[in-house]
Amino acid sequence: MANMKFLCDTKRCIECNGCVTACKNANASAIGWGIQRRRVVTLNDGEPGEASISVACMHCTDAPCMAVCPADCFYRTDEGIVLHNKETCIGCGYCLYACPFGAPQFPKKNAFGSRGKMDKCTFCAGGPAPDFSEEERKLYGANRIAEGKLPLCAELCATKSLLAGDALVISNIFRERSAARGAPEALWGYKPTTG
Amino acid sequence: MFMKSLRSLFALLVIPLVLSMGLGLSASAMAADGQTNQQQVATNDVDLWRAVKAGDSGYTTAKGVETGVLINVVGNEGKDVRNEYLVPVMGITVVGVFAAFLFFYLVNGPSKLSKGFSGKMVLRWSKADLWIHWVLATSCLALIFTGLNIMLGKYILQPYIGEGLWAGLIYGSKTIHDWIGPVFIVSWILCVVKWMPLQTFKMYDLKWFLVVGGYVNFGPFKGKHPDSGFANAGEKMWFWTLTIFGLFIAASGLMLVLPGLDLPREASMAALLIHGISAIIIIAFTIVHVWMATVLSEGGMECMVSGYCDENWAVQHHNLWYDELKDSNGIVYKD
Repeated sequence: MANMKFLCDTKRCIECNGCVTACKNANASAIGWGIQRRRVVTLNDGEPGEASISVACMHCTDAPCMAVCPADCFYRTDEGIVLHNKETCIGCGYCLYACPFGAPQFPKKNAFGSRGKMDKCTFCAGGPAPDFSEEERKLYGANRIAEGKLPLCAELCATKSLLAGDALVISNIFRERSAARGAPEALWGYKPTTG
Repeated sequence: MFMKSLRSLFALLVIPLVLSMGLGLSASAMAADGQTNQQQVATNDVDLWRAVKAGDSGYTTAKGVETGVLINVVGNEGKDVRNEYLVPVMGITVVGVFAAFLFFYLVNGPSKLSKGFSGKMVLRWSKADLWIHWVLATSCLALIFTGLNIMLGKYILQPYIGEGLWAGLIYGSKTIHDWIGPVFIVSWILCVVKWMPLQTFKMYDLKWFLVVGGYVNFGPFKGKHPDSGFANAGEKMWFWTLTIFGLFIAASGLMLVLPGLDLPREASMAALLIHGISAIIIIAFTIVHVWMATVLSEGGMECMVSGYCDENWAVQHHNLWYDELKDSNGIVYKD
């Protein structure tokens, strides 16, 4: 069985935020105002060694959100995708505290700005509601996995920097790229000049 | 020849990687302060990712708290502390303290009034005191039961009930917990401010502890009635515990329930752990308090029902308070 992961090739990411837009577009029915499931972070912005990386839910194998959730609303699909049940979510925010990647998002729509139901990247795999149902579309957004497609963020990535799919497949792609372009500084003293 | 060079290349690649990961793990705590400066340009990939792992922040268009931080492991470590320590300790505390007092009650029996009931009732608590006590008690118990469900329900309840029922129960628990919290805080403030003058520790409180409050009905402690003022040493300990940990639990609770504060994850997780630890301590004392008041001290419950206590109860359990009242002719009897 596949083990779905995201992988962002920082040597290719150009910080265009196309993945963020694609995600919002694919899941517009579920994502409330002020929420984005994916974000692009640029390290050493404008300096030598600049690297951009697109990040969302990493669908951890030992997901901290799942472990900390007092409502036990998370579950893992057969494809290794971490999903959650919004009917059970109580909006306590513990998953946001525990997640190392800042993936869980909360709409602020209740009294005193208290949290609504948590929203996060679903790997475009919908949720526990029946596939392609109106309920699933409204609560979780797209279910491209059930259509046999990959998440729209990765599919739309112009530089093919953001890879989504089975861990083995995408890491093989990344390994081939690394072998082809070389990895300066991976070895001590190995600093080829390019161009 | 080719294979051999490949193998040595592999060794050269992998060994530093493994070493750096090991170092990265042990140094991640220290690296947090060292790697955050933007001046130090990390041209080396290893340095770059080590800094990211240590919580280095970058530029992002995403709005919100800490959106520029790619990795922050503090919350995950807090989760481990919560799941591995606080959850079991809370469960053991509830069962253990209750069982210990049940055992003590069955072996020892209640602390009876040695002269029986006199039938004369002495004013001990005003109507305002009764109100403060019962609002505080009700809100505290509501918070304890809903809090226990939030902390332990996933393990002891959820596997045995239906999904819909569980969803309703846990959502109800969280909502009640959120809205009863302010009631607890207000009544807690009133309780602390109004009752603090009665709760200062005196020398005779030490002797109270030496004879376990006079509640033991066998052995060398049998029949002992240690001195005590308006509140005995045990009650004072309960009061100060509730004062200190009530402050912690109220402050951390507000941090958790108001996302508008935009706290970083470290602060939120710290609040969650402090909230849990304070809850464990308050729950333990609450169980003790309820046991003492309801069954272990004969005639004790009456104080918080009518505000009056039996004269013999006052003499036996709070002799110094009674003597003081008597000397100043301050005793108010019930009509």
